[in-house]
Amino acid sequence: MKIIVHREKCQGHARCWAMAPDIFELDDEGYIMPGDIDVPEEQERLAWMGAKSCPERALDIQK
Amino acid sequence: METMAARPIPAHVPPDMIGNFSLFSSPGLEPTPNGDPQAASAVVHDGPRIFYSPVNTRDGKGTWVITRAQDQRRVLQDPETFSSHRSIFASALGESWQMIPLELDPPEHGKFRSLLNPLLSPKRVMALETAVRERASVLIDRIAAAGTSCDVMTDFAFPFAVNIFLRFLGLSDDRLDEFVGWANDLLHGDNVKRPAAARTIVAFIDELSADRRRQPVDDFMSFLVQSRIDDRPLTDMEIRGTGVLLFIAGLDTVAAAIGFDLNYLARHQADQQWLRDDPKRIVLAAEELLRAYPTVQMIRVATRDVDFEGAPIRKGDYVSCATMIANRDPLEFADPARIDLAREDNRHTAFAYGPHRCLGSHLARREIVVGLEEWLKRIPTFRIKSGTAPVTYGGHVFGIENLILDWSQEDAA
Ligand code: HEM
Repeated sequence: MKIIVHREKCQGHARCWAMAPDIFELDDEGYIMPGDIDVPEEQERLAWMGAKSCPERALDIQK
Repeated sequence: METMAARPIPAHVPPDMIGNFSLFSSPGLEPTPNGDPQAASAVVHDGPRIFYSPVNTRDGKGTWVITRAQDQRRVLQDPETFSSHRSIFASALGESWQMIPLELDPPEHGKFRSLLNPLLSPKRVMALETAVRERASVLIDRIAAAGTSCDVMTDFAFPFAVNIFLRFLGLSDDRLDEFVGWANDLLHGDNVKRPAAARTIVAFIDELSADRRRQPVDDFMSFLVQSRIDDRPLTDMEIRGTGVLLFIAGLDTVAAAIGFDLNYLARHQADQQWLRDDPKRIVLAAEELLRAYPTVQMIRVATRDVDFEGAPIRKGDYVSCATMIANRDPLEFADPARIDLAREDNRHTAFAYGPHRCLGSHLARREIVVGLEEWLKRIPTFRIKSGTAPVTYGGHVFGIENLILDWSQEDAA
């Protein structure tokens, strides 16, 4: 599973990070690091919940 | 200077798009004992996705009202068409500087956000947690020692929020009551009190920045006067605009949130007990309470003519995105009128969508969660004191007053 990060849509709500800090890393301003995220199988559920928590719809899930 | 008298409805608004609804004066939105103004604003979901409200700002202007969360996202994520460029605060003084970053649009806006974001980032807020918790416990211990009833707003919510905030700005507590008074006059005062309070706050911020320029210390204003944007120092007006906004933005928003939350828990004993049984539930519950009881109406100005879902929005029109309306959109939230403290899929907009996402959201969340944790830890089962009625109000920023809680044995009988 892969998380597609639309960084231009990120506004720093940091809900994904609150859900899964190890999967969704933030920069010093509190916005998501650029680049899509490869998710190891055992973390898929958490990553899915993190992606679904974005108020801006900046995170897409690619199976 | 300001009146609530309606201005003429602009000719381009089709008569069948005019709605009989105002966040200021519709039923349940004017000051109401035992009211529920957020629930009262949800009536718009029985109507169209966009309509024109003839009197929907503090100074009696009309706005388009966007009812669906998805449409509010479109508006708030498109600052080129829907601008924040106003001078609400300054214009009340006959001046024209902007509150920063609130009244700037991208790309200018982003420069200031980049400067300020690190100061209130999620990680930075973690470092403030100890101070926040300590403040909450001291205040609540004092309340618990004093008796079995209190006025939550004046005894806890305001002193708590304002103290955290003054600490962030680098100000001491000595003048806390005075600051709360200014904020009250500014937000809820009449035509005389409001501009007077605005003037007082501006003078205070100007003086503080002059002080810090002469003698910098380790605080927010010193940071601001030493900062650079585009390789130049901030102008005096930029420092004022930022200082004034930071001063007022966190004052009564956090206090109101805590008030609405405790009001809810006082009236829903099963939910109160459910949180007591396992305080780890508070983090998720606080999100549901932010969804159900948000307090801010956002307003944008159209920069060009645009047809929006059938509405002929014209350049200069105001467009209202009320968080309490989006947060009860049935297309966005299953069973939105139901308050479910365990709700998971909860992408509410209490802190806005788009580039103006509340700069203080991470701090505000921490304050709310810690405030509820410490309250439930120290105060036994509480309810609204019999014979009293908290008064709620709608408007530009929703609030609650006279919230008297009681946890005596006698009253329980
Ligand atoms: C529960 C408490 C709070 C709520 C519900 C809240 C809500 C909001 C909302 C909806 C906005 C967007 C306004 C707009 O775009 O027109 C906003 C912006 C802002 N808030 Fe908050 N806020 C809260 C607490 C705080 C605190 C504690 C601070 C300061 C530490 C703060 C500082 C700001 C600032 C500086 C902005 C402007 C951001 C920008 O324009 O980029 N807020 N807030």
